[in-house]
Amino acid sequence: MWRYVLRRLIESAVTLVLVTIVVFIGVRALPGDPARALAAEESDPETIAAIRAEYGLDQPIPVQYVRYVGKAVQGDLGTSARTRLSVTETIGHALPVTLQLATFAIVVAVLIGVGAGVVAAVRRRTASEWVANSVALLGLSIPNFWFGLMAVLIFAVAYPILPASGFVSVFDNPVESFRHLLMPAIVLGSGLAAVIMRQTRSAMLEALSADYVRTARAKGLGGTQVVLGHALRNSLIVVTTIVGLQLGLLISGAVVTEQIFVLPGFGKLTIDAVFTRDYPMIQGVVLVTATAYIGINLLVDLLYSVIDPRIRVGGRVT
Amino acid sequence: MPYPSPLLRRAVLLVAVTLAASACSSIDSPGGGESAAPDNRPLRAGGELRVALANEPDLLDPTLARTLVGRTVFNAICEKLYDLDAKLNIVPQLASAAPEISADGKTVTVKIRQGLKFADGTTMDAAAVKTSLDRHRTLKGSARTSELSSVDRVDVVDQSTVAIQLKAPFAPLAAVLADRAGMILSPAAVTAQGDKFATNPVCIGPFKFSSRIAQDRIEVVKDPNYYNAGNVKLDKVTYRIIADSSTRFNNLRSGDVEVLDTVAATDVDALQADANLRLVTSQSLGYQGITLNLGNVNGVGNAPGQLAAPYASALSSDARVRRAFSMSLDRDAINRVVFRGQFAPACGPISPDSPLSSEAAQACPKHDPAGAKALLGQAGVATPVRATMIIGTDAQARRLGEAIQAQAREGGFELALQPTEFSASLDQTDQGKYQMFQIGWSGRVDPDGNIANFLKTKGAQNAAGYSNPEMDRLIDEARATTDQAKRRELYGQIVKLEQEDAPLIYLYRQKNLLGLSSKVGGVQMYGDGILRFGEAGFFA
Repeated sequence: MWRYVLRRLIESAVTLVLVTIVVFIGVRALPGDPARALAAEESDPETIAAIRAEYGLDQPIPVQYVRYVGKAVQGDLGTSARTRLSVTETIGHALPVTLQLATFAIVVAVLIGVGAGVVAAVRRRTASEWVANSVALLGLSIPNFWFGLMAVLIFAVAYPILPASGFVSVFDNPVESFRHLLMPAIVLGSGLAAVIMRQTRSAMLEALSADYVRTARAKGLGGTQVVLGHALRNSLIVVTTIVGLQLGLLISGAVVTEQIFVLPGFGKLTIDAVFTRDYPMIQGVVLVTATAYIGINLLVDLLYSVIDPRIRVGGRVT
Repeated sequence: MPYPSPLLRRAVLLVAVTLAASACSSIDSPGGGESAAPDNRPLRAGGELRVALANEPDLLDPTLARTLVGRTVFNAICEKLYDLDAKLNIVPQLASAAPEISADGKTVTVKIRQGLKFADGTTMDAAAVKTSLDRHRTLKGSARTSELSSVDRVDVVDQSTVAIQLKAPFAPLAAVLADRAGMILSPAAVTAQGDKFATNPVCIGPFKFSSRIAQDRIEVVKDPNYYNAGNVKLDKVTYRIIADSSTRFNNLRSGDVEVLDTVAATDVDALQADANLRLVTSQSLGYQGITLNLGNVNGVGNAPGQLAAPYASALSSDARVRRAFSMSLDRDAINRVVFRGQFAPACGPISPDSPLSSEAAQACPKHDPAGAKALLGQAGVATPVRATMIIGTDAQARRLGEAIQAQAREGGFELALQPTEFSASLDQTDQGKYQMFQIGWSGRVDPDGNIANFLKTKGAQNAAGYSNPEMDRLIDEARATTDQAKRRELYGQIVKLEQEDAPLIYLYRQKNLLGLSSKVGGVQMYGDGILRFGEAGFFA
């Protein structure tokens, strides 16, 4: 077991190093000189040269890389070239925003998706199913940015019941946080809700025709109990898998949603950093993302090995 | 250092004090920034003003700051030796009087107001002014170095006087000191924070820096140490960064912000139709145009040379072809079609509101596609003349590009558009890898700031690789003289020569478009496009 853990740890470390190299080179391969981008309107050659020297951009890339990694392992991701604020701190501000948004969006998506999926399966060939299916189709087809703009126009401009933008942390003021995140979460969760609805519906249809459901009914259980207690419970395994698979989609969708609702989250941070060629910020953002992905993968692999001992010996599963 | 001798002529550098009458006619916000019907209702004390900015300011350090949008935040927290008034005259702010210039033009004496306190409670004096000016001139990475390159040294004469020694007479100095190069920082804060000054800037202003969250907001609060604190109404101003124009507009409509910087031209009608909102406009000091690559082979700022393929063309080698291009453009139609008539056509770098503008500076080649074709015939080039133009990637840039493309076709040009992301386009054009580039300039109050860097040989922003000794001579002469009438005449000649050589083809002048909630009054915006909240507040 420990050998397996050690091997996976080393593999993860190697992956992380490779990621940092790719990012480092990739960022520098972007067209556009970062010193020129940072110089903005003050683009005289001395200013640009001074910026280059200040951020070590005049050094060979390997030198820049070693310097960067040396600091990064000490938790210092440098300072933003644009604002001179600490990259670590800036990411620290942005990450909770996206996490809260994503969590809320998942809750919304599961509530809507599972609810509609169950209704569509139970009330087959009725108006309810048709409505649920249509909503799912819309949820999948409508782009986030359009849905978001429409939501703002209706619920913030025409009928001002919700704020058009901004973020309040759930830990500071739960009520205001709910009001600020409701629209973004629905917009972000809509696509996921549609996927969940369709999967729930088909899983429910399968479950409802399964033997154990017939048995449950034969035993005289009430409709609700059969649907929620037996059929849905078994269908949720599929839903859980889907939510896991769609997480990536949710995070990339958050980029657009954060722009529309002006949420100072991770996605907005990334986009703005790329557009302003803020190298330290781009590197920091990607490093944190890569570390998170690698960390989660590692954790999942290790959990698998706990659940299924055969995985530990890797490749030699019979 | 010595005072200017009594024998020396005392020249007042104030741009156009004598010319104010000619300057104020076309500012859309006479009297300092309110729209057509100024609202004179009383303002109550207190409240938080939320302002949506289109871009994020960079470093909040006047020495290092480079973005235009940052100047709006600085206006609240960092006052300058000089400021502009509504008519674009230069007036004393932290200085107590107009600068005095010695007869040889090389010593500029600045008197400083007494008893003013920085936001940290320390006192401003001549030594603090010297510290700031020296920092602007010499700090590593300073973006002010070239603006202050005419300064040889700064001497403290006494507690309330500094003498700025120039290498050569430089008339635009007062205008330079009315911008970031004239901002005075607390020496105590500079010493304490060093290169981290941007994270907690301390100067003199109606507000003082409170906090900043990158990509999200900057907060400033009323400064009790401010010399005019009694007249400051607001408790707090929050600048929020909202990049998307429709999102910004929706936030103004929903009441999530009270001030919207830069209303999209396409949103103007909707804004004016909303009874809860007001539009404030002023004519921009800048311009938008097309830069043509004439000889940028060694990179911007370096000696120009002979262009080679694929960038060389009849446009780069023959001024007649460039003039023909300019003649084929209908600037009025561009303004009407692309910007719904919100902006103003422009044919030169100098704002008509500038006290140094003149009839010659505003002269415009007539829209004449037939004449353009005839000129191409004279030049002996085969039509259509083919060229590629770099444009921005947003919808407005595309509409503008397509309008130019369609009009140029009538004049005998076949234009290909190359949409390019902004940072990449700057890099590409600085290196000279382009034929034509649609770009603008935010504008400076002194025409020199709109001209010298772009048109002088080896100018810092001369991406055209343009070089004409006569142009260099005119620009230097206009810089050196403090005689306003003479300067005005020289700038007229400069514009005329520019239109003959046509390294830049000017298209239109933007308006600064500001959206305001009708609950708010006292917001001022002049031609420089900077928002001033020192006297702003909520109606009682």
